[in-house]
Amino acid sequence: MSTFLQLMIDGLSTGSIYAALALSIVLVHQATGLINFAQGGMAVLSAYIAWVIYGLGAPLIVAILAAVIVSFFLGALIERYLVRRFERGDPDTAVVVTIGLLTLITGICAWFWTYNNQLFPSLFPLDTVQIAGAVISVRSLGTIVVIVAIMVLLQALFVGTKLGLALRAVAIDPSSAALSGVPVGRNLMIGWGLAASLGAIAGVLVAPQLTLTPGMMDSALVYALAAVILGGLTSPIGVVVAAWLIGILENLAAVYVPFIGHDLKIAVPFVLVFVVLLVRPQGLFGRKSVVRV
Amino acid sequence: MTATNSFSTAPASPWRARLERPWVRWGLVALVVVLAIVVPLLLPEFANQTLARIGVFSVAVLGLNVVMGYAGQISLGQIFFVGLGAYVTAYGYNAGWNIVIVFVLACLIPAVVGMVVALAAARLGGLAIAMVTIALPIIGVPLAKRFSEVTGGSQGTSARFSAAPEWSGLYDDQWQLYLVILIGGATFMLTRNLVRGKYGRAFAIVKGNESVAASMGVSPYRYKVLAFTIASLIGGVSGFLYMVVIQYTSPETLNFGHSIELLASMVIGGAGSIIGSLIGGAWYVLVPQVTNIIDPNLTTVLQGAILLIVLFFLPNGFVSLPRLLRRIGRRDAPQRSAAEVPQHIEE
Repeated sequence: MSTFLQLMIDGLSTGSIYAALALSIVLVHQATGLINFAQGGMAVLSAYIAWVIYGLGAPLIVAILAAVIVSFFLGALIERYLVRRFERGDPDTAVVVTIGLLTLITGICAWFWTYNNQLFPSLFPLDTVQIAGAVISVRSLGTIVVIVAIMVLLQALFVGTKLGLALRAVAIDPSSAALSGVPVGRNLMIGWGLAASLGAIAGVLVAPQLTLTPGMMDSALVYALAAVILGGLTSPIGVVVAAWLIGILENLAAVYVPFIGHDLKIAVPFVLVFVVLLVRPQGLFGRKSVVRV
Repeated sequence: MTATNSFSTAPASPWRARLERPWVRWGLVALVVVLAIVVPLLLPEFANQTLARIGVFSVAVLGLNVVMGYAGQISLGQIFFVGLGAYVTAYGYNAGWNIVIVFVLACLIPAVVGMVVALAAARLGGLAIAMVTIALPIIGVPLAKRFSEVTGGSQGTSARFSAAPEWSGLYDDQWQLYLVILIGGATFMLTRNLVRGKYGRAFAIVKGNESVAASMGVSPYRYKVLAFTIASLIGGVSGFLYMVVIQYTSPETLNFGHSIELLASMVIGGAGSIIGSLIGGAWYVLVPQVTNIIDPNLTTVLQGAILLIVLFFLPNGFVSLPRLLRRIGRRDAPQRSAAEVPQHIEE
């Protein structure tokens, strides 16, 4: 039972990382209608930025906050000067543009900081606590708490502020939003910036565990994409629940199903996605989109 | 892209009109055939090997083009079928089967697997297909490692059946290139005929609007499955050719990164274009080689940067280059006769 609880909490913790990345993918998709394969790469770049600032002698929390802010502007600039040219064009081309961006960013990270693993300090102490007989790391709990807090903040931003209203308006119908005087371009930049900041948080939270390498987020991106499809592209809460589900199930399956083990556990989310999509093609929580012919 | 493909009957430019004269076309075909026969004999070994590898990946990109460029379904799993074809080839050859049977199996098994996946995946909407196909290479790699009796595990497996036979008097690299030209060329011809005909039109309308397709009696589901199955079959052909040229496969062949690179190559070459598939294959093979020559430390940066720069100027890939040049030429020469100009604008 205590192993079970431990696996659950660890799964929730990794699931939270996937959730943060998945949420930023949903943010970008809502704003600009494309799937950003570079989201993980951008998160790695943000983590490197935090690492560099920390290396200059800043306290860790300041370094992380600075990286989050820098990432916001980076994301906004990428939207304005790279992605915007492709937003109204062929969606296949737009997807490949984000792939090119991923390659470019990975290359830049490797160029500056090599492919060697860099140790990244943890925001949380490495202690453990005993809960109901299970040994649970403070880091896992801290990760979960941070991600939940950020999600509440985001929800408040989208529902409770004028900026959030404008962002949603642009996501739903850019031309009507423009007619109502909403600056569409600036809001698209803000959407990308927010996504990049969210990715930055995922990056700095996962970096102590995986150690910092240019390809650190590659598998996390795959899990996040699975969560996005499973939860439904239109539902941020659904995506988070799906990410947690994936994190937990994959942990449990790796330990309790001998055939799966640690090498095949990456198949778990996809089998799940496959089964769910056959029953509910719009995802667990997504809305069915009706197209007028 | 679809528009220019399906409605290109009007002679848009004097160049195209000239190209459509029968003797010019047959002359071009004859020229290509002669080149295909002569070139392998003349080039050095390294060039022949590079050309053969371009052929292998052109076929893989061609398969991706059928499902994505023509039928409009995003597939991120094409490399899985290439790898499957390669593994079937290696296993069959090492088990001592006839090489023709091995070739047929290397095409059929990926096609059947592709069809089974598509039967389920084609029910789903656009991005869901992308997600199901993304899973193929991601699950494929650990599976290939797991079933090590069949696949050779992480070490991979090799099969050397493509040495030049005695009677031919050729070097190995020449013989391999001929095999690639023959099988790859046949695949390209067959695919070209497929997408130019009834099936190509059906794919185009499924890509354009599924409801319109259904209302015209073209079942989107059936044609999506068909496109996916053909793409997997072509992937299997590419896998066989992979074993002809590279003679070795490992789980690394199936790596998800390669699948993404194939996708990028397809778009760079030109989605929905036969020539674009060739350009895509060349891109896939040559760009890493070129960036490696420039500076090995900068390979990844340069690859990403080149990809973005090309797409920035040519969002429809290299096949749209002539059109872009024509447009620039027109801008430079605005004082043309009025009778000629309108014909050019309507393109």
